[in-house]
Formats: sequence, C-alpha cells, structure tokens
Amino acid sequence: MSTADAVAPTGRGGAGVAVARRAFGQVGRGAGAWALVFGATAAASALTYVTSFPTLASRHALAVTTGSASGLGVLLGPVAAVDTVGGYTVYKGFVFLTTIGAVWAILASTRLLRGEEDAGRWQLVLAGDTRPARATAATLAGLGAAVGLLFCGTTAIMLLVGHSPDVGFGVGATVLYGLSITIAPLVFAGVGAVTSQLGRTRRLATGLGLAFFGVAFVIRMIADSGAHTQWLLWLTPFGWTELVRPFTSNDPWPLLPAGLGTLVLCVAAAALASRRDAGGGVLASRDVSALRPFGLRSPLGLAARLELPLLGAWCGGAALAAFALGIVAKVTTAGTAPGSLGDTLENFGVTGSFADQYLGVAFLLVATLVALLPAGQIGAAFEEETSGRLVHVLARPARRGRLLGGRLLLGGAGVVAAGLVAGPAAWLGARSQGVDLDLGTMVAAGLNVVPTALVALGTGAVALSVAPRAAVKAVYGLVIGSLLVDLLSSMVSSLSWLGHLSLFHYLALAPAQDPEVRTVVTTVAVAGALCALATVLAGRRDVQSK
Amino acid sequence: MTPTIVTERLTKRYGETTALDTLDLEIEQGEVFGYLGPNGAGKSTTLALLLGLIRPTSGQARIFGLDVWRDAPAVHRRVGYVPSEANLWPSLTGAEALRFLGRVHGSVDGAYRDELVDRFELVPDKKIRAYSHGNRQKVLLIAAFASRADLLLLDEPTSGLDPLMERVFQACIREARDRGQTVLLSSHILSEVDAVCDRVAMLRGGRIIETGRLDVLRGLAALHVRAQLDSSPPDLSGLPGVTNVVVAGRAVECDVAGSVQPLLRALTEAGVVHLTTREPSLEEIFLSHYGGSGG
Repeated sequence: MSTADAVAPTGRGGAGVAVARRAFGQVGRGAGAWALVFGATAAASALTYVTSFPTLASRHALAVTTGSASGLGVLLGPVAAVDTVGGYTVYKGFVFLTTIGAVWAILASTRLLRGEEDAGRWQLVLAGDTRPARATAATLAGLGAAVGLLFCGTTAIMLLVGHSPDVGFGVGATVLYGLSITIAPLVFAGVGAVTSQLGRTRRLATGLGLAFFGVAFVIRMIADSGAHTQWLLWLTPFGWTELVRPFTSNDPWPLLPAGLGTLVLCVAAAALASRRDAGGGVLASRDVSALRPFGLRSPLGLAARLELPLLGAWCGGAALAAFALGIVAKVTTAGTAPGSLGDTLENFGVTGSFADQYLGVAFLLVATLVALLPAGQIGAAFEEETSGRLVHVLARPARRGRLLGGRLLLGGAGVVAAGLVAGPAAWLGARSQGVDLDLGTMVAAGLNVVPTALVALGTGAVALSVAPRAAVKAVYGLVIGSLLVDLLSSMVSSLSWLGHLSLFHYLALAPAQDPEVRTVVTTVAVAGALCALATVLAGRRDVQSK
Repeated sequence: MTPTIVTERLTKRYGETTALDTLDLEIEQGEVFGYLGPNGAGKSTTLALLLGLIRPTSGQARIFGLDVWRDAPAVHRRVGYVPSEANLWPSLTGAEALRFLGRVHGSVDGAYRDELVDRFELVPDKKIRAYSHGNRQKVLLIAAFASRADLLLLDEPTSGLDPLMERVFQACIREARDRGQTVLLSSHILSEVDAVCDRVAMLRGGRIIETGRLDVLRGLAALHVRAQLDSSPPDLSGLPGVTNVVVAGRAVECDVAGSVQPLLRALTEAGVVHLTTREPSLEEIFLSHYGGSGG
C-alpha cells in the first residue's frame, strides 16, 4: 500500500461517521465485556434460584422473609415477586447491574467527550469538517451503539437461559428485561454528555455525573421506603428501571420517560457544546489557587495528594458493598433459608451459623473489589510514566525502584484501609436488620481480604516493571479469572481441582472459616516478594513514552 | 580537565531501527553546545541516554566521570533537564510545581527562582491546566535554571516561547555559561543556537555528520560570492569548488568552497566592477547538510 493509500480516508459518511466510529471503537469492547458480565450475572441468579429454591414452599418462605425486611427494598430495590424466578432475578441483579451500568456510562461518556478535549484531540476533530454540536452528537451516536451492544449481549444470554423449562422466560419479557437494564447506561451516558459540557476537566465532569448518580440513587431509595413515596420512582432513572417490572407486570411505559430523558440530555449536550469555547466549560472553574504545600515534599507525597480521592472512593465502595451484604444477611438467618441454599454454601467448605456461612461466601465479592484496587494504582503509575510526567522526577536524584516502592506503599495502604472499613460496614449492615454478629470477628473478616489483594498488587507491579503495557490487564485478569475459577470449582465438583489456580483459594472464607496463620503469612510474604522483585526490575528497562 | 560529557560509541537500537549510531562526543565544562538535527535524527534519544532513562544497546556515556546508567542519581544531583514536551501535573499551580521540582532535585536558589519568575513573566498561582504550552515550558526552564546545576540538558526548550521570552532564555544561557555551567542545547531554532552556542554538532540518521566551532564550520562551508562585471561572465562551472552559479546579465552569483583563487582569477579577467562576499548563516550550513534529505 502506498503512503497516499495509507492516509486516504476510508469508508463513507464524512466526519460524523468517522467520529462515531472512533467513539464506538474506544468503548465498544468494554460494552461487550460488560454485556457478558450482565448476562452471566442475571443468568446465574435465575439458575441459582431454580436450584436453591426448587419448591413452591421454599420460594414462599423466601418471599415471606424478604417481604418482611423493610430495609431490603430501600437498599436493593424491587423486592416484589421474589417467589418467582423472574421476580427474584430482577431483584437480585437490580442494584449491581444498574449501578455498574450507570457508572460505566458516566465514565465512558466523560472520557469520550471531556477526556478527548483534555488531551487536545477534540480540538483536532473540530478543526475538521464538523462543528461542536455535530461532533458531540456523532460521539453520542457511537456511545449509543455501544449501549446497544450491551443490550443485545445481555438479552441474548438471558434468552438462552430463559429457554430452559425450569426458568421459563418468555421472549417478550426477556427483551423488556434487557431494555430495563439498558435504561441506566443510556440515561447516564446523556448525563455524562451534559456534565462534560459543564465542567472544564474530565475529573470535574465525572464528579458531577457521579453526584447526579448519587442523587438519583437516593431518590429511588426514598421512593422504595413506603407506599406513599412510590410516586418518586417516576423521577429517577433507577425508578424507571424498577417500574418496568419485567417477567411479572411487564410494563413498557417507563421506557418512555427514559427515552425522552436521554434525548433531552443529548440535545442539551449538543446545544451546550455549540455555545462554549473549545477547552472551556459552561461552569466557571478556579484556575488560580494559593499554594497548598501538602504532598510537595516528595514523589510519594505528590502521589498521595493526587490519588487520595480515588483511594477514598474505593474504600467507600468496599464499605458500601460490605454494608449491603451485611443487610442481606438477614435473609440467610437460620430457620428461614431453605436447605438447598445451605447445600450451595457448603460447596465452598464453610461452616458455622447461616449468617456466618453466607457472609464468608459473600465476602468473596468484597475480596474481589479490594483486590481490584491495585489496578487503579498500577494504571496511575503507568499513566504517570507514559504521559512524560515521571521524567521530571527521574531526571532528578530519584531511583526508579524507590519511586515504585512508594507507589506500592500507597496502594498497599489503600488495600489495608479498604479491608479495615469493610468488616465494620458489614457488621453495621447486619445489625441494622437485627442480625447479631461479633464486631471483632467482622473486623478480622475485613482484614482477611488484604493478603490476596496485596498479591494482586505485587503481580501488577512485576508486570509494570517487565511488560508495562500489560500491567493493568494482568491485575484484572488475575482477580476476575480467580473469582470465576473459584466459583466454578466450588459449584462443579468435577472441576474442584481448578480451585488451586485461583488467588482466592488461599483466602479463608471468614467469618465462616478461621484464617490460617501460616497461609496468611505465606500470602503476605509472596506479595512482599513480588513487590520487592518489581522494585528491583523497575530500574532495568527503558522509560516508556506514548 | 575531565570533560563534562563523554560518550564512546554510544548506540541505541529499537529492533531493526537504529535511533543513535556509535556517537562519540566530548563536551567541556563551561561550554554551550548546540545539538542540531532534523526530526527523528536522534537528539531526544541522546538526551534520554545521558539521563539514564533508557539503556544503551552498546557503548557508554559518562557525565562528570560517572556512568549515566549506574550512577544516575549522583549524576542527576548536578543536572538540570528540560524535556521537549512540557507535560506537568494539571491540578498543581505553577508555584506548586516549582516547589515540588525543587524539593525533588534538592538544590534550589530561591532568590534566583523568584527573579526568574519575574523575568519570564510567569503567573505562579495559576493551575498548570490553565497554562499555554509556552507557560508550561517556562515552569520547567525556571526549575532547571534555579537549580544552578553544573550541567543543563535542554531538549528543544523554547519551541513555545515568544520572541521576548526567547531573549530572556538566551540571557539566562549566557549567565549560566558565565557561572561556569555547561549547557547541551538541542534545538531547531538555528538563530538561537547561532546566538548562544560555542560549538555545535549536527546529527543525521543517528550519526554525527559535523562537529565544531561555529566560526570553523562557517570557514569550512561555501562562501557566497556576488560580482558585477564589465563584460559577459565567463563559464565558472568547471572551476574547482564552485557551485550554484547564477548569471543575470553581467552579474554572477555562486558559492565557492575551499580556495577562492581560481574564481577570483577568472572574475578578474572578465573585469570586476563590484564584488561582495558573505559567510553562510548557520541555517545555510544546516540546509546544505540536510536539504532535500529529510534526515
């Protein structure tokens, strides 16, 4: 191919189509991955339900238990009809799927719009054959296609599972379920598009989007707190998702405000884009500030100053997840849960009271969340290097191994803090529902997730020192892969041998299992050795640039 | 006296691509050394090697007699560096970035830093994200000059500065030289190199193709001659060292390298009415080496 051929525009449709394609290219893969996670989560809920609650009596008992727990609806959404496979599936995945969908959409939208502008690439697009409003609309079309992929993937998996006679989901109801799950990402993509016009940095735009998310979530919680506040569900995207009630009421009307709301947000974003300067924001932001000496004494101090908000958010997320899991412990208290659920839990080798067994397995999710925290820190270290900012430090008397060591110390502190808050948060959640747990035991259960997360940190650090571009993927691969392997090996007896490959195989399921001192010490030692190896290897490769 | 920078057959390869090929260089203390070359010639690679940011494929480099890879922190204590891309932390203000860079370096002349902030007309309480490219470069230049480092490694440090700030920069370079500091200045701005550098090296395709004092380079380069004659100009194309002959009526222009005797003899025979000669500018020397090659 000649140079002229190589740089010649390909495809048809002009600048708009090119912008939309690029936007889809940036977020399409992520949408596909989330479609798999969404579909698998919902499908797992349905399949677990039909095996754990095989009889009408057990389903009725569950409905009675959850129906009498007033706090559950507030926190976890639509508790109605949990004595049916569809009702339970909707209830089980509601908070998880809508939260992930909304946050993903906000991050994707602000990345495509404000992130590109922060990097100066948006201005290059605007220098071409397009205008801000059209380029914004085209970007949103690309993001819309990614949300469409999320809908198609989730629905396809659910259609496959729903085909089973035990599950028995109809095609129409399944499509409606897919649409209801797509409401949050669709609307919040529009929210991110508007906040990208308001804030002049990606961080601010994302923060505004997440603040809107928080308000919408709280309105939904208030709406679910009693019959007289149910009308509030019509004011929030989470309420629209809930009101569809697929598999039971199958009401398509809430899709109307969702569609209209998204349209209004996208039109508003395009209109605002055409009324502001490139690189600027509608909201005035402070570009001038007095000197704040915090974090300016050393590279570690600066990393702490820049990363503390993110680490705080991770700790908050871990605490929130643990709190929610603590609340659900009520459902599993002895006497109300069916024996089949106990059998499922026993596959994980847990013992003790039902609440302990449940929390032991449920804390696997907390362990996963905390073990993913290092991915953010490894990613930040990589970004610091490839952006050229690390060079300003390396050109001064600082050793690369020591710099990485500081980063690892920060990541390790974040992991310990997240583990430290998770235990008491779960205890608080359980106590709020009247489940009596020992605080000391739950603090230990929270800290128990720390060693495996440190191994994830060490693995990411070694990858950063050897193959930096694969470092973040290495952490995600290790943690998500370990979770899947752990679940598979516990649920399918013929695959139990696989368990040894999982990171979480070396994690005691506290509070249902007592952590073994030898295993904890070994795990921490492995993590320490990996981190030490990473700091030694860090100085042996070339500094990377974009 | 030990040279400040010594490289011996310094080579860097990326797979099949040779970014720097057997570089031999010596830069003396107190010298302002211009490092010239088109894009992709290997200038930034050289500076990254000298800072120990990347490892040489073969050869070695020493600064202050220390190995740049093994003894990097000790070398960096005496080095100020300004990279070509001024990426800084967007959420910090200029003053905060200066404070941080000074702390990490460990040596700052605070009074000189404040003076430089005034001379470069930097608004220090503005956030980096609100700075233009030129203002971000000012932050890095101020940090490097204020460190009073023995060696300044500057990689195209003024591409975003306006002409007034360019003059401030050149004044700072002269002050640094007067204090005995050594400067390695990689630049595309030939007038800047012409104004401040004692010696230059020209790089092409990862290899040095010319090194020397500017006046010597000029002497070696072709002299531009313009003559007005009182008869038709003779045929000069066959004379040794004569190139680019242009005839316009009884006027003739050409470049001559080496001895001018044969040219003067031919012109005298044709009757010289008026004769002017001009030494080549650095730009003309640069273009004579790189013109049409693209590096």
